[in-house]
Amino acid sequence: MHVLEYLAPQTLGEALETLAKQSEGAKIIAGGTDLIPRMRSGIIHPTLLIDLRKLSLNRIEFKGGWICIGATVTHTDILESNLLASHYPAMVEAVKEIAGPPIRNRGTIGGNLANASPAADLALPLLSYDAFVVLAKVGGERKVPLAEFFTGPGQTVLTPDEILTEIRIPVVPPRTISKFIKLGKRKAMAIAVTSIATRLTLDEAGNISQARIALGSVAPRPMRSTMAEAILENMTPGIELFAKSAQVASMESSPISDIRASGNYRKQMVAVLTRRSLLAAWQQLERRDR
Amino acid sequence: MTEIMVRFHVNNHPTAVKTDPTRTLLSVLRDDLKLKGAKEACGQGDCGTCVVVMDGKAVNSCLILIAQVEGANVMTVEGLAEERELHPLQKHFIENWAFQCGYCTSGMLMSAYALLLNKPNPTRDEIRVAISGNLCRCTGYHEIMEAIEASAVDLQVQVRKNTGNT
Repeated sequence: MHVLEYLAPQTLGEALETLAKQSEGAKIIAGGTDLIPRMRSGIIHPTLLIDLRKLSLNRIEFKGGWICIGATVTHTDILESNLLASHYPAMVEAVKEIAGPPIRNRGTIGGNLANASPAADLALPLLSYDAFVVLAKVGGERKVPLAEFFTGPGQTVLTPDEILTEIRIPVVPPRTISKFIKLGKRKAMAIAVTSIATRLTLDEAGNISQARIALGSVAPRPMRSTMAEAILENMTPGIELFAKSAQVASMESSPISDIRASGNYRKQMVAVLTRRSLLAAWQQLERRDR
Repeated sequence: MTEIMVRFHVNNHPTAVKTDPTRTLLSVLRDDLKLKGAKEACGQGDCGTCVVVMDGKAVNSCLILIAQVEGANVMTVEGLAEERELHPLQKHFIENWAFQCGYCTSGMLMSAYALLLNKPNPTRDEIRVAISGNLCRCTGYHEIMEAIEASAVDLQVQVRKNTGNT
């Protein structure tokens, strides 16, 4: 590794100023679970590492109608959060499927998103909950919908002088249920072949007022299938409707073939998993209302 | 790269190392402190042979920069036994034939140790999850699970004895 400098600033202001002055060759580090392997295998050669872990970005809290999750909150922190378990169960379901405990103890939510892997497990439930990311730089910050954050594999709208500091999720409406399903080669330590998060919100009459379907590992970036969502909205939930929506999600996906699976297989799995996760969500909601 | 001084505790001993901040914790443990229990196999956090316990949590020491260890408490497999008395986990790993080649053992032990620190009375599923980041290519995991389960029971008995609750 040919890093020239490692800095662990004490304040966000300090971190942002350092980055602004020296953004060329700089990399942000938190858990390091993705960055360090890439450095060690020579894929990236940062000249400056800025460590975020002393910036107190490790809180999960309610703030003005939002649940705010600091960028250095670890996967383990998410698993242990009652607040997240009760409001955003699909997040907890997703984190359970990320790697194994040693990685979950270090890896962070900010890193999972900023790395912009098309297979980022946490991106999917967050897309389904309409989350935003807060991107800070010297002189201000902007709030970007997560759906607009990813631009391609490893690519985001982050500019070289910006740091992802927080994830903000609106409080979910009543009568909402969500479900995450991951298909991997094995249960632990596996990058997804295909993963899906769905969310359904029903109105008083029991019709679907809001639907979200987020797909992982089947496009250049974690994506929402807005066409499949549109099929569900304002409709009465049912098996046939779910199957139709799942077919459209499959159509809208554009998976590649790689070491884990063929594109064709992935496309079929999008349909299967979308249908299953919609069905599971709906059944949970029915059970809860009974 | 300018060297920095990193101060931390290893197996309850205060330690200071002057080194390149971007070396891994694993490299410092093995090459500088001569603690060879933690091993490097994959070098990317996939296999768990490098697992140590840092501030009460199992971590991959190959994925931690030494600069990030400043002020931390690190426990390695070398810290498990006390006064030549093996830790119950070690005893039960021996009794249950929970290793063959032994390459995964230190990592397995430390993942199990972190589990019992946080959950003294784990279910089978919790044990399974706790070692899900550790690969063993010999045993098939069954014996390892049994050993961890037996250790949990043993440690519970010890706790009850120490607190006078029977």
